Amino acid sequence: MDAVVTDDLLAQSAAELFARHATPAAVRAILGGGPAGVLWSAVEEAGFADALVPEEAGGAGLGPADALPVLLAAGRAAAPLPLGGTMLARAALARAGMAVPSGAIALAEALPGEALRGRVAAHGAAEWVLLPRPGGARLLPVAEAERDDASPYGTVLRWASAGNAPTLPEADWMAAGAWATLAAMAGAMERILEETVRYATERRQFGRAIAAFQAVQQQISVMTEDVFAARIAAQLASLPGEGGTGVAGLDTARIAAAKARIGEAASRVAGIAHAVHGAMGITAEVDLHLWTGLLHRGRLRFGAESHWNAWLGAEFLRGAEAQSLAFVRARLAPPLAENRPAEETTP
Amino acid sequence: MLTALPLSTIPAADEALRPAIRAFLAEHVPGIPPEIRARSWMGFDAGFSRALAAKGWLGLTFPKEYGGAGLGPFARYVLVEELLAAGAPVSAHWIADRQSGPLILRFGTEAQRRFHLPRICRGESFFCIGMSEPDTGSDLASVSTRAVREEGGWRLNGAKIWTTNAHHSHYMIALVRSSGTAQDRHKGLSQFIIDLSLPGVTISPIRDLAGDAHFSEVVFRDVLLPEDALIGEEGGGWAQVNAELAFERSGPERVLSSVVLLDAWIGWLRAEGAADAQSTALLGRLLGHLAVLRAMSVAVTDRLVRGESPVVEAALVKDLGTEFEQAIPALLEDRLGADPAREPPAALLRTLAYTSAMAPSYSLRGGTREILRGMIARGMGLR
Repeated sequence: MDAVVTDDLLAQSAAELFARHATPAAVRAILGGGPAGVLWSAVEEAGFADALVPEEAGGAGLGPADALPVLLAAGRAAAPLPLGGTMLARAALARAGMAVPSGAIALAEALPGEALRGRVAAHGAAEWVLLPRPGGARLLPVAEAERDDASPYGTVLRWASAGNAPTLPEADWMAAGAWATLAAMAGAMERILEETVRYATERRQFGRAIAAFQAVQQQISVMTEDVFAARIAAQLASLPGEGGTGVAGLDTARIAAAKARIGEAASRVAGIAHAVHGAMGITAEVDLHLWTGLLHRGRLRFGAESHWNAWLGAEFLRGAEAQSLAFVRARLAPPLAENRPAEETTP
Repeated sequence: MLTALPLSTIPAADEALRPAIRAFLAEHVPGIPPEIRARSWMGFDAGFSRALAAKGWLGLTFPKEYGGAGLGPFARYVLVEELLAAGAPVSAHWIADRQSGPLILRFGTEAQRRFHLPRICRGESFFCIGMSEPDTGSDLASVSTRAVREEGGWRLNGAKIWTTNAHHSHYMIALVRSSGTAQDRHKGLSQFIIDLSLPGVTISPIRDLAGDAHFSEVVFRDVLLPEDALIGEEGGGWAQVNAELAFERSGPERVLSSVVLLDAWIGWLRAEGAADAQSTALLGRLLGHLAVLRAMSVAVTDRLVRGESPVVEAALVKDLGTEFEQAIPALLEDRLGADPAREPPAALLRTLAYTSAMAPSYSLRGGTREILRGMIARGMGLR
């Protein structure tokens, strides 16, 4: 099947599912501590959580780039689910020949120390947490965790012991979690742009829509640029790296560039969206904060801009490349299409 | 609303050009100091342009029958990317190769093509573009330079300003009024190929703040243009000018204008072990931005190759790209002054000084930031 068509069908069915089940009211209920089981069951039934699991293990056998539209759609709905994490964890389990347990799996950011501690977010639907540890990531049951601390950015969970928890081979789960996070952020930004444009054309002041004012237009144009850049960054981050050694073939360098770029975009996009919405955007009633909240939380999760910028700069300096552009072409560009005929390029 | 751009790659056949270009540049460019290479596509060297012509790299996208190489836009993309990354002095042929040649190919008569295109490909004809006037900047439709039809041709009066390379060029393609008045706006504008050696043409270079004279004022006093100076349709000038804008706004030259400075700084970080934590993070940030911008630029080029006209997407690339180009000197001024006890190399500082001074022009040339954002707003349905 043609890749673009697959992409569109998947994007469409994901959009429909989240529009039906992850309405702003449903999202608010979950964020408020309500159960996420109904929404998760719908996602599970659609097979989205098995998107990256190889076909021979009963999954859809897609790569991250194919599955990206699903995560974008989840972000557009601000669905508070560990969907990207579950996709990646199940793929890794299946690839390692290990049993894939039922239920959602939240990825944790490991906190150092002897204790089994990690930070998770939006884990309401999760039955499992994948906690990266020296020696491999442990799959731990949520039911056996103790809550250490909680903030809007996440909850710190602690386990007394790993027991006989399954252990996945070591992998860059920080980058994997960053990918899941940045994809949701890119999706949320697209939704914010749509909502902001709609509001600007509806809201009237001085006898006309505020969209008619150049000052407002220019701000929304800046926002559009960032949203486009974020979308392209998410697409880049979903491509495999040269060695394909990351979780599901993901590449840490691409993810570093994308997570930092998207984090930067997020704070501008959220700021402009709120500026355009005025005081209405500060109310609990208007849904804008569902998406801007996702952006603020997403920036902090799995490495903010400072973390990934430092990583990428150090990665460049570890190599011998003298030219910035040559590094970008070698490490951060889509892989070359070897088989595309040159005639296609002639106008 | 705009739709997302699919990622695209440069076809392998076009990528195959890169090693030969890099080898050529490694031979011809390293001797040029970085503060000169920092001039990017404003660096003028007719000899260098002719050396490129001898390699067959001018008019890469023109058909072979007119002296070109008959390749697609992505072949030129690869060439331009390498030229700019190296800081090669490309200004002499730049406008002819990038805008004037394609315009003549698209709208010119067969005789105009046969006359001009081979000369462009040989590096013998340099072009400039006459758009702005003393009272006409962003409001381009208000041009008042006027061509009046008379026996055997046209009589031209008026003035163009900020014309890059006018004093080095053989021809100017100018947008002028050929009928009606300024109130008619887009109607009644035409493009002419003006031989700058004609009587009545006065070119006065204007010194820029970096000490160069890259642009000029050009005054026309009763210049008699032959019949065939008109290019394209009489009265069709506005549409012709706009037809190529997407190409001009989404290419590597909207992302790489400060890359010589960036790479000079990287060279210093490496050589001196000067990369502290903040510099390393800044380097990572700039690389990430560059990666995303390049992916956007390649994706827009792919749309152009497919015959679409992604004018709004191109405006978006230009605005973001020039913001990146301007951020580099602004951020490096802070970095290079971070430790007052340390003196960075003078060549790096000269490169920074030049780039900082010229950076404001990045978001003026080819459509100001405000104009581009207005176009994006229109694309988003806000106006």
